[in-house]
Amino acid sequence: MADSEMGEATLERKLAVYRNLDERFVIREERYKGQQFSHIYFMRLHHMRSQLQSLIPKWKPHLPVNTVLGLEEGKECIIVGTLYKHMKLKPSILDEYSKERSAIPLVKPHNFMSTDDHLILEDESGRVKLAGPMLAPSAFVTGIVIAVHGKETSEGDFFVEDFLEAGLAPQVDRPLDSREDKFVAFVSGLSVGTNAFNPLQFQLLVDHITGHLGDENEQRISSKIVRLVIVGNSMHISHGFFSGQTVAPKDHAKLTEPIRELDIFLTQLVAALPVDIMPGCNDPANYSLPQQPLHRCLFAGASAYNTFVSCTNPHHFELDNVQFVGTSGQNIDDLYKYSDAKDKIEFMERTLRWRHLAPTAPNTLGCYPYVDKDPFLIESCPHVYFVGNQEKYETRLLQGPDKQLVRLISIPRFCETGVAVMLNLRNLECHALSFSTNL
Amino acid sequence: MSSGDIKGFYRQKKKNGGVTKPSSSSSSSSKKSKSKHYTGGASVGAPSAAQTPALVTRGGAIDLKEEYGDEEEALRQFDMDMKYGPCIGVGRLERWERAAAMGLHPPLHVREVLVGLASGSTACSSKFKCLWEGLV
Repeated sequence: MADSEMGEATLERKLAVYRNLDERFVIREERYKGQQFSHIYFMRLHHMRSQLQSLIPKWKPHLPVNTVLGLEEGKECIIVGTLYKHMKLKPSILDEYSKERSAIPLVKPHNFMSTDDHLILEDESGRVKLAGPMLAPSAFVTGIVIAVHGKETSEGDFFVEDFLEAGLAPQVDRPLDSREDKFVAFVSGLSVGTNAFNPLQFQLLVDHITGHLGDENEQRISSKIVRLVIVGNSMHISHGFFSGQTVAPKDHAKLTEPIRELDIFLTQLVAALPVDIMPGCNDPANYSLPQQPLHRCLFAGASAYNTFVSCTNPHHFELDNVQFVGTSGQNIDDLYKYSDAKDKIEFMERTLRWRHLAPTAPNTLGCYPYVDKDPFLIESCPHVYFVGNQEKYETRLLQGPDKQLVRLISIPRFCETGVAVMLNLRNLECHALSFSTNL
Repeated sequence: MSSGDIKGFYRQKKKNGGVTKPSSSSSSSSKKSKSKHYTGGASVGAPSAAQTPALVTRGGAIDLKEEYGDEEEALRQFDMDMKYGPCIGVGRLERWERAAAMGLHPPLHVREVLVGLASGSTACSSKFKCLWEGLV
């Protein structure tokens, strides 16, 4: 709510109907009984295979679909399975036990790709190496399920002539009857507690969103912001504190100060509008995906308000029937380590085409060993797909073959760029909000 | 029991110095041997004629199905069927429920056996765990 200083009529903040859909990411009744990751891969293969099998007749109707074990040399067919990318530079725990220590490079490269990488397709019956120029290993990662058309060679490889990804999932129609502008604000990587955090810069953002900044025009714009989503890494707890050792009394302040400082800012925000806060890799939350919501007791001030919503990572919600799905960046950052694309938005597009939010989990990205589901599968294409903690602000409107329309947003780290993102619910248009304290 | 057959006892030990491959379906059945089947050191599957009488049935075939019945055989077949996914780390009943939820139509008699065991008086908890439980 924003009051004009002249005592004129108060500006009312707009409202939007919110539905939190994080239930599939919350770990409630799951109990770890010693299971391994074979189950989550089985669930993923089963689900994606049934989706691909409904698409294969439209793609290549006259070819038989075989299992890997059922391959016959020279016979053209289609096989469906999970991809495994063999990468010689991928760090392996076994390197620690290797006798040839000199083989390990001292400087770990950021990206583990090499020209020797090759792809292997695997299903319940077996695995086969994929050969041929059609599948460039640099564009793929371990964990995605695809269908390939080709034939077995005399060397026992499968020569790929063509491949099929599931493509964008079907999308629920977005409501087109809204006539008024309503904005959703996104901010990520606040990093309260580090030297990079600039309190004045963040205070400017808070004041702008709550309507304490600017003249009536600007307040009018702020009153149209219906929700703020904080996409991970709001605070930075030094990783040394996560080792499990007792914290010395003199270090207690280092642990609690960032949380308290963030709570003060959050209380100002939740008093003005609904706020969703997601955990990131530096927040005090669990490490493996899906990260569980940050605990209410961390936010003594803000959690008293019913506008404060602590969410999982990944986060799935609905605002006025517009579907939003987003992560704090771990899924895209992991793709960046093991594959190549022209920008982060392209990685995001790929995850939508593969219908899986985090295909490299559990291979190189920590994830809970689910037994009866894979919660990262995308069953319905969202209208807005956002990823936080990236280098820069980027956005694209992706159009699918079945009239799907997705707004892809890469949200930059606020502590480095001072940039937040505003999305208009009416037309899915996106623009940046830039805050600078340089005089 | 081998009370009088001392010579036979020693011959058994020499012949089977190492681990012998059992002639029945799995090695875990030897792990599951209970003490009442102790036959003076005879290992499972040993084809020697000096087998103690307890194990030998009519016709000379070794009766190992005393260890587990047809029920367990059906449960093991269910474990090994790749269609329902991996069996390690998941209880048999849980795996059956999962397969049913996925629409794979797992055999109903398997579930009946498992549910019957749960309510039966001779609750043998090892039957709820898969074949490889504790071995892998």
